Amino acid sequence: MGKGFCALFKKDCRMLVSGKFFLMTIGFLILYTAYVNLGYIRFMQMPPYNVYLYDPDGTQTEKSPLVQTVSSMEDMDAILLSDANGVGLDASAGEVRVVLYKGAEHVDRHRADYALSLLRPSASRTPEVLGTNTPEQKARKEITCELLFFELAAVGFLGIAAVLFKEKGMGVIRVHAILPVRKDLFLLSKLAVFLFSDLAFAVLLTLLNMGPADGTAILPAVLLQTAILSLIMALVGLLCALLLKDFRQFTLAYLVIAIFAATPVFLSANTSIKFDWIGYHPFYHVYMGLKNAYFGADISPVYYVGAVGMIVLLFLVVRLAFHREIGKEG
Amino acid sequence: MKGLKYQLKSVLRDKFCLMTFLLPILVAVALNFMGSIDLSSLGELHFSVLENDLSPQTITWLERYGPVTAYGTQEELAAAINEPSTNVIGVKADGDSIKTAISGDELDIFRQAAAALPALYEKRGDAEQAEVHVLERPDILENFQGIFIPAVLIVAMFMGCTFNAMNIISEKEDGVAFINEILPMTPSQYILQKVVVGFLFGSLSSIVTACICFRLSWQNFGIMLALIILSSFVAALIGLFIGKLSEGLMIGVVYIKIVMLVFIAVPIVCALIGVSGPLAIICNIVPSHPAFDGIMALSAGSLGTAVKDVGILAIHCVAWSALYVLISSQHKKQATQ
Repeated sequence: MGKGFCALFKKDCRMLVSGKFFLMTIGFLILYTAYVNLGYIRFMQMPPYNVYLYDPDGTQTEKSPLVQTVSSMEDMDAILLSDANGVGLDASAGEVRVVLYKGAEHVDRHRADYALSLLRPSASRTPEVLGTNTPEQKARKEITCELLFFELAAVGFLGIAAVLFKEKGMGVIRVHAILPVRKDLFLLSKLAVFLFSDLAFAVLLTLLNMGPADGTAILPAVLLQTAILSLIMALVGLLCALLLKDFRQFTLAYLVIAIFAATPVFLSANTSIKFDWIGYHPFYHVYMGLKNAYFGADISPVYYVGAVGMIVLLFLVVRLAFHREIGKEG
Repeated sequence: MKGLKYQLKSVLRDKFCLMTFLLPILVAVALNFMGSIDLSSLGELHFSVLENDLSPQTITWLERYGPVTAYGTQEELAAAINEPSTNVIGVKADGDSIKTAISGDELDIFRQAAAALPALYEKRGDAEQAEVHVLERPDILENFQGIFIPAVLIVAMFMGCTFNAMNIISEKEDGVAFINEILPMTPSQYILQKVVVGFLFGSLSSIVTACICFRLSWQNFGIMLALIILSSFVAALIGLFIGKLSEGLMIGVVYIKIVMLVFIAVPIVCALIGVSGPLAIICNIVPSHPAFDGIMALSAGSLGTAVKDVGILAIHCVAWSALYVLISSQHKKQATQ
């Protein structure tokens, strides 16, 4: 059994190498790492509101150094137009008037009050810090988690389906039906190849984007979640490849996952937008498992029971579909 | 014409292929009828407090700036503050004043708000007396909602590209591509047959999506139609390029993925960060950018920008067609040598 598995494993590895799968994975690893380090970290910044003061008579003597003075109302209009989140204070008529561009109601109120408070600043009290992450660490963890999820959910899924469609086309399943090896080994070797490939990808992506110190600390938890996601996606990919007629049909399932299924999950898990129905979305729980691993949060044992149950159920369904396919071929 | 009939017949038989084109329409229907997503909470401040810790007046004051959630225990409060997907500011009583707690991983704007909150609380009487002059501008957060619909439309246009690329790649894999080379068919006939199916279904899908999402005047509808037709044509042509350049299915999928990411990411990022000047001109190299920009301009009522984008797309159509013919003729020359 071990010998048969090794032979199948080697054959699958060779097939992925010839299909340039590993090359593609390395390409995406470089692309994602460049995006995180050169783009995302720089882009994900939201500077504090700028406050501009027009005070021709110099009445505001106590103003905070954070207030920037402008020489005319025209300058104020121009600067507010280019910095629409900024707040203008017009002290030219004695009483201070706040000028700002309309945004969300609560935010506007805060912007106005904050700007006025800078005219008579009092000692700023540093807030108590409860967490351990810096903004950059949080951004790195968030984007690494999103990219890993996208890579496993979309690319791994696509990879296993492409391999199986190719094998179907080449008649490998038909040949396998008469080989003296256990039929399940065909499925297990594929799962193992993709599992090892995904784990290696997760290690490299995490270490390259989080740094060796931060990355190593969370790696065991991340690898466990990666294994769960990898097995689920590889089994779904196998099932689609066994049930669908050709690869072109498969692109529909890929598009559904890549664009429409992942978007609400990312929105709900990474922003304050929470959909009421997101609890029913299976990807949401898997994504949250991965995210909790990156942020070191506790994961409920119920999730693990559910994930293992899902993997076993998917494996049984795939096994059934595979045996049906062998029967058809034979 | 006969070849085209066969192509259409093959598509109509393939139910999954039809579903691919129907997918954006379904999403458009969902976006239109199930209510749009409320993105207004993205930039808001969110506060969390301990039950029975702050006075009702302080809670009412906090609610001026954003929603307040009360938690029963200190642990629950700390967990809410540390939740990575939000930027919650914890607020506790501190004698006559208040003190704030944050996770420490928030963006600068939220850290600044937390640091300034106790001072704002102490001066709450002064702030209410000042006159506030609010200048009108379209709510930037509403624009985020508007981005969803053009993005779905771009996906609809992109379907033609995916279909054409997969069609050619599967023909290559099945060996039909070799048979095509010896058929009595000119390169232009081949291009026409291959482009038309993806173009036709991509356009139809986009037109139906646009009809569901937008209520346009006849004049604006004409410009929208031009935007859709031109961008679907360019997308279908790019599909031909992908099919031609891909050696196998896996490579084809990689190309499609890259093109899809660029197609969707470039216009959305440009719209979110408000790219202007030379960079905006450079972004027009990606055909989805003028299409997206034109749709956004039409929904905002800016006819001039939409017409300019139609012009850019027309240039794209000519340039991509010429490039394809050039590559095909060179390929044929090499094959005959």
